[in-house]
Amino acid sequence: MAQAAPNTEKLDEHLLEIVRALHGAVKQGVAHLGEPKIVDGAIVDCEEILDVIMAGDVEAWLSEAVA
Amino acid sequence: MFTDKIELNDFDKMDPEYKALLSRVLTIQADCEIGGPHLYVERMLPAAPTKLDQLIVARTAAEEIDHFRKVARVAGDLGTDVTFVLSQPNEKRFVDAFRGLITTWEDNAVFGFLIDRIGRYQLEEFYDCSYLPLQRILPEIVTEELGHIEYGYNKTLELLSKGDEEKERVQNAVDNWYVRALDMFGRSGSARAERYRYWGLKRRTNEQARSDYIKEVNPILTNMGLKIPDPLKGRRYL
Repeated sequence: MAQAAPNTEKLDEHLLEIVRALHGAVKQGVAHLGEPKIVDGAIVDCEEILDVIMAGDVEAWLSEAVA
Repeated sequence: MFTDKIELNDFDKMDPEYKALLSRVLTIQADCEIGGPHLYVERMLPAAPTKLDQLIVARTAAEEIDHFRKVARVAGDLGTDVTFVLSQPNEKRFVDAFRGLITTWEDNAVFGFLIDRIGRYQLEEFYDCSYLPLQRILPEIVTEELGHIEYGYNKTLELLSKGDEEKERVQNAVDNWYVRALDMFGRSGSARAERYRYWGLKRRTNEQARSDYIKEVNPILTNMGLKIPDPLKGRRYL
């Protein structure tokens, strides 16, 4: 059996959580397109989540996940 | 030709060339999946023309991140750590089309229907491939890529309906992405591509896939009233 790369499972779980959070924010925004306050909030949520992913600091993500 | 289908449990017994090629193709695929969001999130999420488009940019990024996750899992399980691609600068991406930043809505729309289509082609190479864990993650990823292509196509049509000035901007975007799209298939006659085929990791030669893409895309461009760019101008890999 091949030896898995370190943190493979942890990273998978963490990214899945992030993807779900992002989809949740998108759904919230799409469902309230006529309500500027809610939709703007959803877009800000998306931006904040994506900023973290784009920074790509895997070590920080995983240490947060453990904490 | 290698015609077996293998599972993770069999990986250790495989020829070193198979291991190296599978590891390489998964790393490149992971880089391309995360490379998309790195191209368009920074400028297009705040600048998309409507709130709905902003949300769709975010949803597209979410789907690409999820594709990365799935490919990274397949790679990680067999010992290939692809996490470095999450933080590497765009200039270091494996594939030229992902080196840079999308700064206009025209580029973003055309990227969707020309470059995400390449994503679909790359994934189709793995249909019926010899590594079953890779095969299993394909259906959902391909379905989502089809959605990205359709969105890019519809947004391009929307832009084209806005008059000649906009049409010129779209044509410029097409001129830019078309050539880069053709380069994404790699060199014709590539010896490495032959080895991928030998090991059942890809189905077509680079030139076959490129030719199929041209046959599919050229009529679409013509039907949209766009000119087909010179397929050789500015190409890096022939």
